[in-house]
Amino acid sequence: MIIVDNVIKNFGLFQALDNVSFEINKGDIVGFLGKNGAGKTTLMRILTSFMAPSSGKVIIDGDNIAKNALTIRQKIGYLPETPPLYNSMTVKSYLKFAAQIKGVPANKQRIQLTKVIEECHLEQVKNKTIATLSKGYKQRVGIAQAIIHEPKLLILDEPTSGLDPIQVQQVLALIKNQREQRTVILSTHNLTEIEQIAHRVLIIKSGKIVIDQPLSILLNENNDTHSPTQVQSQSTTLEQIFINLHHLDSTPIKSNLIQSNLIQSNQETTQCNTTGDK
Amino acid sequence: MSKIIALAKKELHGYFSTPIAYLMLIAMLSLFNIFFYMIISQNKEVSLRDIFQIMEFMFIFLVPLLTMKLFAEEKSTGTMEFLLTAPLTPSMLVLGKYLGMMTFFSLLIGMTVIYYVIVAYFGSPDLVSILSGYVGIWLEGAFFIAIGLLTSSWTSNQIIAAMMSYFILFLLYFTSNFTQYFTGTVKAFLIQLSTRTHLENFATGIITPSDIIYYLSGILLCLVLTRLSIDNRLWQ
Repeated sequence: MIIVDNVIKNFGLFQALDNVSFEINKGDIVGFLGKNGAGKTTLMRILTSFMAPSSGKVIIDGDNIAKNALTIRQKIGYLPETPPLYNSMTVKSYLKFAAQIKGVPANKQRIQLTKVIEECHLEQVKNKTIATLSKGYKQRVGIAQAIIHEPKLLILDEPTSGLDPIQVQQVLALIKNQREQRTVILSTHNLTEIEQIAHRVLIIKSGKIVIDQPLSILLNENNDTHSPTQVQSQSTTLEQIFINLHHLDSTPIKSNLIQSNLIQSNQETTQCNTTGDK
Repeated sequence: MSKIIALAKKELHGYFSTPIAYLMLIAMLSLFNIFFYMIISQNKEVSLRDIFQIMEFMFIFLVPLLTMKLFAEEKSTGTMEFLLTAPLTPSMLVLGKYLGMMTFFSLLIGMTVIYYVIVAYFGSPDLVSILSGYVGIWLEGAFFIAIGLLTSSWTSNQIIAAMMSYFILFLLYFTSNFTQYFTGTVKAFLIQLSTRTHLENFATGIITPSDIIYYLSGILLCLVLTRLSIDNRLWQ
């Protein structure tokens, strides 16, 4: 579905992405993780053809982004970090506008509109002005515009940012429902969200991909490194991996290096505990 | 084409969903009405020639206020990312916004047709010169809007966009005032560069190819530059 090959993105002297390569299969839900400024949004913007890479190749569903940007945009639904909404419009008129500019045929616009309003639970607010909506509803309208043209690929940049826990669960449920129909890429700072919905994790650090693994394997590998005497939590969470990773230096790291680092830190913890007992 | 029309409708909705459009229309028409009354009562002529020149001067102040938000607001609110990741070409985006703004402007011009009805009631105005005056003022507005669209594509700050438009429009309007300091080719160039020179011909009922080319080439140049500005993401 997606092939990213040695993508580099420079902003002047600053290198935002450094030789990024990965592949994503059809139907995957992939989580992009990384600190602020790691390069997640830049990578997403390149995938949506909003900006061009300085070098490297991106192929989405067989089309090269440098040559067929328009064709690719037709296949992508994108929710930027800030939902791109027109506050003076009603939900319905905004979604109709989104359908029109995304090339939904005129005879199917009404059907699609009804479908996404239902899917995103916007019935109650469909005739309200966007400016009057809560943040949770605005986020749902943002997702609705992203899926109105039935894209094959859905890219969501921090879709749960700034939402309360109930709204987060509502948005996550909405994203979960998408995985049967399309490939989903999302970025978030909330690691438990990724654990809930993603199949695979790409951790980006200083513009480089330092971990690219299925979530289940990543968590299992790190759980295997725990010694029986370990006093800490019984299972390694993505959050622990993420924190450990960002304590290391900036060189690219494979998952086995993370693993060895975890072993080392676990051993140190055990030694400290043993010494403390004595 | 349907995408361009959708974009134009969205622009119009953006104007008419707030009081700004109505206030602009009321303010401009009120000013036009005052000047129309003053000119007619003073000149006692069944002609709209002077009112066209007043309109031209007023549009220098009005148009940047209308156009400053076209791209600058999209950039500042983040909706530009929505538009540029939709299956739209930069040309569609530019034409859609331009069409929306031109529809609003045409509505404003259309509301002044009442002046023809009034002068026709009191006398026998020269229909050809009035029609050519309307063509001229419409082309001039179209040129001003294209300039406003271009400056709005350069920045995410609406005030800066308006200031840049004012600078360019004042330069084009007042160029002919500086001709006394120059001679020969430079003088002729400055006269041809001024918008006043070209509108004057239209307002007196003279439509020349050079006047039409002046406006059309100016519009085309600004639209192409706007497209390039969007395409190259100069605003990032």
